[in-house]
Amino acid sequence: MKAPTPIIEIRDGKKSFGSFVALENINLSIHEGEILTLLGPSGCGKTTLMRLIAGFEGLTSGTLRVSGEDVAAVPPERRPVNMVFQRYALFPHLDVFENVAFGLKVKGLAKSEITERVKRMLHIVQLESLANRYIDELSGGQCQRVALARALVNEPKVLLLDEPLAALDLKIRQHMLAEMKRIHAETGATFIYVTHDQDEAMILSDRVVLMEKGRIVQIDRPEDMYARPKSLFAAKFLGETNLFETAVADSGAQGTVAKTASGIGFLSRNGVGHKTGDKVVVSIRPESFSFANNDEGSSQKTQGQVEDVVFIGSRSFYTVRLDDQAKVRIQVQRNGRVKPPEPGSRATIYWDADNVVMLPQA
Amino acid sequence: MLLRLVVWTILAFLVAPLIIIVLFSFHASASLSFPFTGFSLRWYQEIFGNTQLAGAVTKSLVIAFFTALVTLVLGASASLGWLRLDRVGRAVIEAMSVTPIALPGLFVGVSLLVLFAQAGIRLSTLTIVISHVVIALPILIVAMKARLALFDPSLEEAARDLGASQRQTFARVTLPLIAPTLISSAILAFAVSFDEFVVTSFVAGTETTLPMYIWSMMRRTVTPMVNAISTLVLLFSVAILLGAWLIGRLRRQSAISARAEP
Ligand SMILES: Nc1ncnc2c1ncn2[C@@H]1O[C@H](COP(=O)(O)OP(=O)(O)OP(=O)(O)O)[C@@H](O)[C@H]1O
Ligand SMILES: [Mg+2]
Repeated sequence: MKAPTPIIEIRDGKKSFGSFVALENINLSIHEGEILTLLGPSGCGKTTLMRLIAGFEGLTSGTLRVSGEDVAAVPPERRPVNMVFQRYALFPHLDVFENVAFGLKVKGLAKSEITERVKRMLHIVQLESLANRYIDELSGGQCQRVALARALVNEPKVLLLDEPLAALDLKIRQHMLAEMKRIHAETGATFIYVTHDQDEAMILSDRVVLMEKGRIVQIDRPEDMYARPKSLFAAKFLGETNLFETAVADSGAQGTVAKTASGIGFLSRNGVGHKTGDKVVVSIRPESFSFANNDEGSSQKTQGQVEDVVFIGSRSFYTVRLDDQAKVRIQVQRNGRVKPPEPGSRATIYWDADNVVMLPQA
Repeated sequence: MLLRLVVWTILAFLVAPLIIIVLFSFHASASLSFPFTGFSLRWYQEIFGNTQLAGAVTKSLVIAFFTALVTLVLGASASLGWLRLDRVGRAVIEAMSVTPIALPGLFVGVSLLVLFAQAGIRLSTLTIVISHVVIALPILIVAMKARLALFDPSLEEAARDLGASQRQTFARVTLPLIAPTLISSAILAFAVSFDEFVVTSFVAGTETTLPMYIWSMMRRTVTPMVNAISTLVLLFSVAILLGAWLIGRLRRQSAISARAEP
């Protein structure tokens, strides 16, 4: 079976501003109906990538296709794409209703249809009561919802959202995230979402595109990107992790073994293609360590001194100083089955080969 | 205390001549000095009987109107261009527009006169309008620039993104947002033209504008009618400047960009 045509496809995309290369080697296929998140540190080119898709910028080289069609010569107003701007860009001379109606008006729709669709959209974003307010009379969260409604009322195939929740406080943010998921399910549009916030990315996305300095470093489902980062950058950027500088001691059928200078050995089933003697960085997430040996066969262990415990809700975070002075952060779910060690005591920590990720040194 | 005294002195210094002019425009006798011998509207009546004066006023109004119109069109184009320029381009335009403001009127007058003579353009109402545009345009650009710097270009992008063509974007977003600025600037140009004297005297040829008429009247005999005329001009100027100010302040439209942060 042939894969369906991606709604957006970028091949070998490159974008320069003068001599500054903002984006390079961009290869990206976006499927119809998915929520794709662009994630990366400030200045890595997320907004630039959005602006290319929306049509405000052109690629310096490479191709951009929308529904299989090269759109190099198609201006923004004729692309089936709507954008929610990083700073909303709502029209200050129009009220909420007119802001939302803008796209339908310029398309020349009948007045009755415009009114009906705008009202329905205002209902979805719960702004019916504010229809006649001007933009400077709205709160940040309300502005954000107007911006969302203004884009969605056009029923775009692709909705670009550039950090739409950045200006909102945590509570509205969680509410809006749920809203966005609901609206996505209701409209079936493809969402391309930019965020700095990895929690947001994890909650929302079908796939995450991780970017660094104008390049895509990994595209994966969020849980895979978390569990199997392909680079040190990815491992560090997404969530918390423990890193160990090691050298490969043995590479065989059952996995790769790497040892720290002090002799702690790690067996990994995920490190492929490493040769004996290669320098690799081992990454193990805090929740992949435990104080209990739950699987005799594959568990590995080492010893250390418990330095500190922090309780956060149902989880405890331990800091353990290993015998070679390296510090390890361990997250334990408190369920009462295993008695956790006291601060100051010696403890044995265990981990599983499945959760050991070996990464090339940066 | 001292500071207050200074401020009041300066204000008195600025306002005293105006008060005296207004006061003596209502003086019953032809004398321009105290003691004040009674109120009358005779100088105002004389104004309205003076056809020469009426001609000069009409001329000045026509010139000011066309100056404002031409300046508005040129200024609007310049400002739209300015919105799309980068920092260097903006700096160039700025330098070019500030320079003429700093030049003495005498110098501008002479150079325009020479220019018209070289180009073989007969001195007329047209040359006055051209000269007034030369004077008013830089002032207008400087006045507009401050407001336009607040214009948020992402509003135009948002309009395009929502399906508006370039023309629709201009008509529905750009123009409504910059219109108050344009209109108040045009009124400013009108005011500048209406009482311009130095440059006009070089390029007017046989034409007579209101400031020139007043000046020639003063040279012959100083009659209190001048006070009456000046009072009316003062009222008129205050009225249009107030108008410009009010338009610039229209509540909704004074917001030229969307609020960025909540
Ligand atoms: N018009 C431009 N001219 C020159 N450089 C630009 C332009 N637009 C963006 N850049 C540069 O390109 C890089 C990427 O910018 P971009 O806005 O895409 O970053 P971002 O990932 O969206 O960052 P943030 O998370 O802070 O919004 C930055 O270094 C920026 O300075
Ligand atoms: Mg950005």
